[in-house]
Amino acid sequence: MAGPLEGIQVLDLTRNVAGPYATKLMADYGADVLKVEPPGGDPSREAGPFPGDEPHPEKSALFLHLNTNKRSITLDPSTADGQALVTQLAARSDVVLEDFAPGQAAQWGIGWEQLSADREDLVMASITPFGQSGPYRDYLGSEITLEAMGGPMLNTGHGEKQPLKLGGSTAHYHAGATAAFAIMTTRLRVEMGGEGDHIDLSVFECQAGFRDRRTIFVTGASYTGDARPRPIAGTRLGSGVRPCLDGYVNLLAGRRIDEFLALIEKPELKADLPDVPPNQMPPEIVEMLEAEYLMWLLQRPKTEIIARAQELHILSGAILTVEDLVTDEHYGGRDVWDEIDHPVAGTFTYPGRPMVMSASPRPKPEAAPLLGEHNEEVFVGELGIESAELERLRSQGVV
Amino acid sequence: MAQLPLEGVRVADITVVWAGPHVTQLLAEWGAEIIRVEPVNRIQPSSRGGEQRMTKEQAEAAAASGGVVPAWPDYDPGDEPWNRSAAFNSHSRNKKSMACDIMSPEGREAFLKLIEVCDVFVENNVPETIEKANITWEELKEVNPRLIMLRMPAFGLSGPYKNYRGFGTHVEGMIGHHYLRGYQDAGPEYTGDAFTADAMAGVQGALAATMALRHRERTGEGQLIEMALAEGFLPVLGEFILDYSMNDRITEPQANTHPSHAPHNVYPTEGDDQWIAIDIATDEQFVALCDTLAVPQLASDERFATATARHEHRDALDAELAAVTAPLDKEDLFHTLQAAGVTAAPTHNELEALADQHLNDRNFYKEATIEGVGTHRYPGMIFQMDNTPNDIRTPPPKLGEHNEYVYLDLLGYSREQYDALVAKGLVGTTYPPEVLGG
Repeated sequence: MAGPLEGIQVLDLTRNVAGPYATKLMADYGADVLKVEPPGGDPSREAGPFPGDEPHPEKSALFLHLNTNKRSITLDPSTADGQALVTQLAARSDVVLEDFAPGQAAQWGIGWEQLSADREDLVMASITPFGQSGPYRDYLGSEITLEAMGGPMLNTGHGEKQPLKLGGSTAHYHAGATAAFAIMTTRLRVEMGGEGDHIDLSVFECQAGFRDRRTIFVTGASYTGDARPRPIAGTRLGSGVRPCLDGYVNLLAGRRIDEFLALIEKPELKADLPDVPPNQMPPEIVEMLEAEYLMWLLQRPKTEIIARAQELHILSGAILTVEDLVTDEHYGGRDVWDEIDHPVAGTFTYPGRPMVMSASPRPKPEAAPLLGEHNEEVFVGELGIESAELERLRSQGVV
Repeated sequence: MAQLPLEGVRVADITVVWAGPHVTQLLAEWGAEIIRVEPVNRIQPSSRGGEQRMTKEQAEAAAASGGVVPAWPDYDPGDEPWNRSAAFNSHSRNKKSMACDIMSPEGREAFLKLIEVCDVFVENNVPETIEKANITWEELKEVNPRLIMLRMPAFGLSGPYKNYRGFGTHVEGMIGHHYLRGYQDAGPEYTGDAFTADAMAGVQGALAATMALRHRERTGEGQLIEMALAEGFLPVLGEFILDYSMNDRITEPQANTHPSHAPHNVYPTEGDDQWIAIDIATDEQFVALCDTLAVPQLASDERFATATARHEHRDALDAELAAVTAPLDKEDLFHTLQAAGVTAAPTHNELEALADQHLNDRNFYKEATIEGVGTHRYPGMIFQMDNTPNDIRTPPPKLGEHNEYVYLDLLGYSREQYDALVAKGLVGTTYPPEVLGG
């Protein structure tokens, strides 16, 4: 099976997380992604974690994860020779991605205007912190700063503690997935006889329209004139995270009092409760119910609590660690993990498909490429560069 | 200037809460025609907030005490609160609304006619909901072999958690994200909710639809796509999952730390709950930070001399910096630090986001007018294209606003058939009093 994106040629000049996640999604579903790395490699090769915590450019977990099913070539786009190679490669590609500072690619002669000059079918995406225009265009941005100003960070965490970022590089993964959607819609237009375009994607705007709270809360502020505070977590009856026998659970139980009492096996308490909605219960009643709830929780393991809550149709989940997740029989039984063998790093368990497509399943997952693994194949085999010329480029540090 | 890329694609939409509606929001923004299938004889929960029972005074009081409130315009539910929901109207521009209850025989029949003329069908209910309406992929593909059906359950269409119910916050617990992003000095009870799996599933669901449309253009065949919220988020945790595989390591709560950068946190600034985020990747940036804050002694302190040393002593460094930033103005500091080459940005609440000069310079916000609700600004498109101008084409639809267009023009119902559905209470633009209650 070749996957739904079979035949699409992608030239990927991006680094770190956002761009590489966009092209991982495309590569995993069948596109031919040619990853262009600077001679020192994508910085994610230095990010780790590493097996045994020993840094090695071919063993970085972040790189191995984000670059499955791609080919790697090396070239230095800041040199004239490197720019000529990018131009040649772009001419053979349907899609180009870059994540240099705004204006940098154009200055090197490999920007949208130059690469699309003789063709209408090119799809090009530029991924930056703040976009190609506007007063912050040249500002630096990173995961935590873009979440802080763009996203719902001020609403995340506990009202009496500092705002919390989301896990890992969430904003950049989200921006990468958004870039993949932007590219594929535009490519669809090209294949239906329309034209390509230049996509200006900023992580900041992806956060500003983020469907984790931000776009809803900003619309709310536009409607009411009020901003939202950071909540004090867990103060509503039966709602939020609570400890249990072997960890923590998160239930939205309190607003349906009959189910809540059934859950904690105390239906007889109903007779003692005032006839008001759960959010209007007097504090001493809430305290009594919470004490009963906690006693019930602390005698039971998290998976058993969730199974029982779900039988009662109470929205709920356990707080799993990464070990709980990887060893959980639900996920394992659904075949979400890939065992991938890498010639240098070894064989590890990777997160597999984000989705299952019945008629166009993804191809078999292949390990991330070694640095410059496909230099000969691409430069000599596909571009027809003489071996002596490739040697010259190597000796001058271009490749 | 090019036409929107998904022009000509028609989508049937039975989505609720946050993730599914975001898929159809993105498809609508880039040109698709979306038809929301919504009952009017009962209230669809977690959609338009029709189940909300609050007066303007109660909503205002709840907001003032920091509670969770429906953010109706001016907190006023009006006569039709379901047309005034911020949560619903934040995603529904460019969509159409058709009154139809798939649980009724008449509604199911109308829905199957709709499927005949649609390219894509998106739903994100608990799997058993669609099954109870006796709607199956096997039948839908007979009705329309070119159909793409995108299902987005919380945990999947099989396995022990198949019918588990949860919002994004419950899903993120079940995939390890809640644990991972917690505080280091307080337990998971303090971490609070996030709904990030909804955001990821939204964009990846839209991506899945475009990939399937491409496959269909090449082969003529439609397909069923299953994208569980939980599974769509797993790639975001890739490096932590690999760390477990490589080193048997269970990643402990990360809070605002970075695996190698320090300082990397939010620091208090002048005012209540005002912060600046600072991320230092290099020695040069650290020196620039210390110079800008006029604390050269930190740059020469041997505890902070190298990236490794700063990371090891990050708690002490955070305390030193917090004392220095506390009296400063976060906006001034933002621009001063950026001018010095330091990666920094203030936290912005929703009102600051609406006033943000960069977002406004790039025309991020778009205005829309809903009759009887008013003219408001809404967050706009999350990416732009140079040669494909884009704006809100039609405002968020009121309940059943497009009934006549869908039944009469699109599905070919006669006026008599249509009137019969109205008489039965299955088609309309409001909920009956017995549904709304007292």
